[in-house]
Amino acid sequence: MELNTILHVEDDESIRVIVEMALVDLFGFTLFSFDNGKDASAAVEGLQPDLILLDAMMPSMDGLQTLAEIRKIPSCQSIPVVFMTARVQQSEKKQYLEAGAVAVIEKPFDAANLGNELLSIYDQCHQGV
Amino acid sequence: MQIPSKPDNEVKRLEALHLIQMLDTPSEPRFDRLTRLAQFSLKSDIVLISLVDEDRQWFKSRQGLAVCQTDRDISFCGHAILSDNILEISDTLQDERFADNPLVVGEPSIRFYAGVPLKYDGQAVGTLCFLGRQPRVLSVEEREIAFEFARAVEQEIEDRLQEYVHDKLLISEQMYRSVLDGTRIGTWQWNIQTGETIFNERWANIIGYQLDELKPISIETWLSFAHQDDLAESGRLLEEHFNGLSAFYDHKCRMKHKNGHYVWVHDRGQVVSWTEDGKPLMMYGTHADISEQMNAEMSLLESRDQFRTLVANIPGITYRCKADESWTMLFMSGHIDPLSGYPSSDFIGNAVRTYSSVIHPEDRARLEHSIEVALNDKSSWLLHYRIIHADGSIRWVEERGAAEYNDVGQVLYLNGFILDVSNEKKLQERLIKLTQQLPGMVYQFQLWPNGHSAFPYASVAIKSIYGVTPDDVIDDASAAFSRIHADDLDAIIQSIEVSREHQTVWQDEYRVHREDQSIMWLSGNATPEKMPDGSTLWHGYIQDITQTKEYYLTLEKLNQQLKVAQQSLDLASEQAQIGYWKISLKHGSLWWSPIIYQILGFNSEDIQPSLSLFKSMIHPDDVKKVEQGQEQARESGIYNMVHRIIRSDGEIRWVHELSQFVPEEKNPELIMVGSVQDITERMRLQKMKEAFIATVSHELRTPLTSISGALNLLQSGELASLSEKSAKLLNIASNNCNQLIHLISDLLDIEKLVAGKMSFEMRETNIRSVLQRSIHDHQLYLGGKSVRFALNIAECIDEISILIDEHRLMQILANLLSNAVKYSPNEGMVTLSAQKIADYIELSVEDEGEGVPEEFRSRIFQRFSQADTSTSKMKGGTGLGLALCKELVEAMGGTIGYTSNKTSGARFYLHLPIPVTS
Repeated sequence: MELNTILHVEDDESIRVIVEMALVDLFGFTLFSFDNGKDASAAVEGLQPDLILLDAMMPSMDGLQTLAEIRKIPSCQSIPVVFMTARVQQSEKKQYLEAGAVAVIEKPFDAANLGNELLSIYDQCHQGV
Repeated sequence: MQIPSKPDNEVKRLEALHLIQMLDTPSEPRFDRLTRLAQFSLKSDIVLISLVDEDRQWFKSRQGLAVCQTDRDISFCGHAILSDNILEISDTLQDERFADNPLVVGEPSIRFYAGVPLKYDGQAVGTLCFLGRQPRVLSVEEREIAFEFARAVEQEIEDRLQEYVHDKLLISEQMYRSVLDGTRIGTWQWNIQTGETIFNERWANIIGYQLDELKPISIETWLSFAHQDDLAESGRLLEEHFNGLSAFYDHKCRMKHKNGHYVWVHDRGQVVSWTEDGKPLMMYGTHADISEQMNAEMSLLESRDQFRTLVANIPGITYRCKADESWTMLFMSGHIDPLSGYPSSDFIGNAVRTYSSVIHPEDRARLEHSIEVALNDKSSWLLHYRIIHADGSIRWVEERGAAEYNDVGQVLYLNGFILDVSNEKKLQERLIKLTQQLPGMVYQFQLWPNGHSAFPYASVAIKSIYGVTPDDVIDDASAAFSRIHADDLDAIIQSIEVSREHQTVWQDEYRVHREDQSIMWLSGNATPEKMPDGSTLWHGYIQDITQTKEYYLTLEKLNQQLKVAQQSLDLASEQAQIGYWKISLKHGSLWWSPIIYQILGFNSEDIQPSLSLFKSMIHPDDVKKVEQGQEQARESGIYNMVHRIIRSDGEIRWVHELSQFVPEEKNPELIMVGSVQDITERMRLQKMKEAFIATVSHELRTPLTSISGALNLLQSGELASLSEKSAKLLNIASNNCNQLIHLISDLLDIEKLVAGKMSFEMRETNIRSVLQRSIHDHQLYLGGKSVRFALNIAECIDEISILIDEHRLMQILANLLSNAVKYSPNEGMVTLSAQKIADYIELSVEDEGEGVPEEFRSRIFQRFSQADTSTSKMKGGTGLGLALCKELVEAMGGTIGYTSNKTSGARFYLHLPIPVTS
């Protein structure tokens, strides 16, 4: 299994642009970006990405709710989900991991290195399986 | 005819004759056998054993003759005994001594006579004689035979006598034995060489047996009954006797009775015969039962021992001494030793010292005088005096004694009892001293029915109370009473009278005039006691309470002030919206202060305070929390709870409840008080603050994420190549961006820590890897500065785990390392060390910078402090780092500190406790 397609949900446009440059331009992944959880969870079944990167705090539907929606879709239940958050607290991190996230990336993140980070998360994930 | 003459030794001869005890005894075969044999051998007509008595000759044995005696005057034998040799008359008719002898001329017509003297014990007691009716001459051989027969007769006489004595002995022995058997004495005979032993019946009876029961009897019989402990002594005494060292074997020993107990036996004996080679052979002895005697002796000894023990255990000294000048001790019990330091043997008989030598010289004369007076009066004495101990210390003793007199009234002995009363004496002295130390006076006051009064005892403090000495009032109390304030005198007389009449404790407060006429307040307290003479004696204490009175007045004032303060508090509580309540758990009565009604939205006139009412108002979501808090309060005694209530008008309010329960033993009414504060406003602000921080956290970080992400990507150079200047600018932007990120993180952390909302994940952690990672991570972010790192970890650290949140420790170390780097000179060295000190681990970060400036030291761990503003511009940093480190370390149970000097730089250290189990 190789990491190729990534689905990214983030309400802040600047961050979406930076993530896109960091992952597509620097690492050549295929990236599907969404600015809200609702659209993303509606599209995920058809896209079947290798990994999902979710912003934790979003208006209307936050990261956890989005994750819950996605997990309702039978074919999407085993896609690894990584959270990104600006309020990293141990307790919060624990909450995401308990909800099924495989990793939590702290904002601000090291953009130049994000691709590597996701690759290693993905590898670890599949080694674990 | 010739009458035989009497020999010179006639008296002795007759003694010997009587000694053989044969006269007038029946004939005996032993002699008759010999005479018959002699008659046959010498073919003699008549053979006689003739015993020559004083006036006659009597024939013990006769052959051929009928008569048994004849007169000595006509006897042949009377002649024969005069010589040691044989008297032979060949023809009696031819011998003028016998020719006309009636025994010759008449029957039995003796013509021949030969008589051989029979000797006993050297005396001729008679003859063996041969008589014939025809003349005859004995041949030499026949004479020899006659002699031989005579010797045989002598032997028979000897033997017969032996047997006779033996028989007699036997009789007497039997007699003695029956005498002995009649007494309580046992006898024994012991053949020492064979062990053969004979006991009598009585011997067996002493130990409860019949002699037959003990058979076969030998020395083993005795050995088996004797007490094992007495055998050694018995053996020793026997040996002594056998060796001729004692005339008798004499031993008192125990024998086991048939019934199992032991009887005391007095064993006496003597060796009566010895073997040829001088060994003891036969020993005869007696056994006497002396149990009763011994028991009496033992009980005497026992009672003497008892007396000794008694005397030894009496905690004093008993003595008896002569009534001489130096009181020579005859007896003195051992307790003199601890008292004087000398053993009693020193004193007895004045062996080493006299008793008076240990008496204090100052007391001696007084003592002698007192005893002399007592002796003259024939009374006893009771004395107190001092003994000088061997170690030089002084002991007080009390001696009671009396003399013993003889019939004419002369003193025989002095007997007495001496008791160490040093402690009592000390106590007494201490008591007197103590009384002197008391600020008030201790006294006895006596009042007689006639109204007279006195102070039989008053401590010296009476001077400061009434201005008189104890002697001034010992017989008359009026001098003291004259000092009492005129306004109080009647009341005092009254209260004394009440106390006397009802025998109740007297208690009063009153005034007296000091000598300088100033007023002194007194408080008195005394217990009355009825005396036999109808008077009443009070024992009491009076003290100066002037000062207390003043305190009391001051207290009154303070109380007044307190009331004012209370009013202010009420006012304040109203402003702070703090209400109070009070409940008596015993009576169930509850009281609310007006503010509580206000908080709850009630009108105080309409509502009766009740617990159930308050409970019903608690917000449903908080009910559980409140119940838990109350549960805890039952254990801790403190109830501290913030919760919501829903007022009757539907409004939700936050309240802070605080109450404390005073334990039952100090709070018999079970009263509980508490406060209720309306903190709705505070809670609203708190919520706002939290929301604000959350917003700051998110809203600030989101744009920062974009900025730092963008800078990152540009800096990576992967998207576009950069000119040197662009790179430099990007670097500046990136550094400042990072600083801003850190500032926000630190700020949020501090807020969380202070609000107690920071959670720690404490785990047992080995420090080495944490330190290594800290160094490693830091090297990545040096920001172009050239600094060397050293890691210096003591070996023992690997064996120790400490309880920390690894992530937070990394955060602290990162802060310290970043500071060290910041203040290091170029090419400086930063050393991170770990070592164990006592029960904690010390981690330290040391740099080679300029150290911590003096003026900065006092506020180094405060927030937003930095060495100076100019350096802050130069070095960067938020000024929050060390404050955050301090909060974090302390939250994990550790401490932080530093040492610093100008030349060697600063050294910051953490002390982290090692868990006890580690």
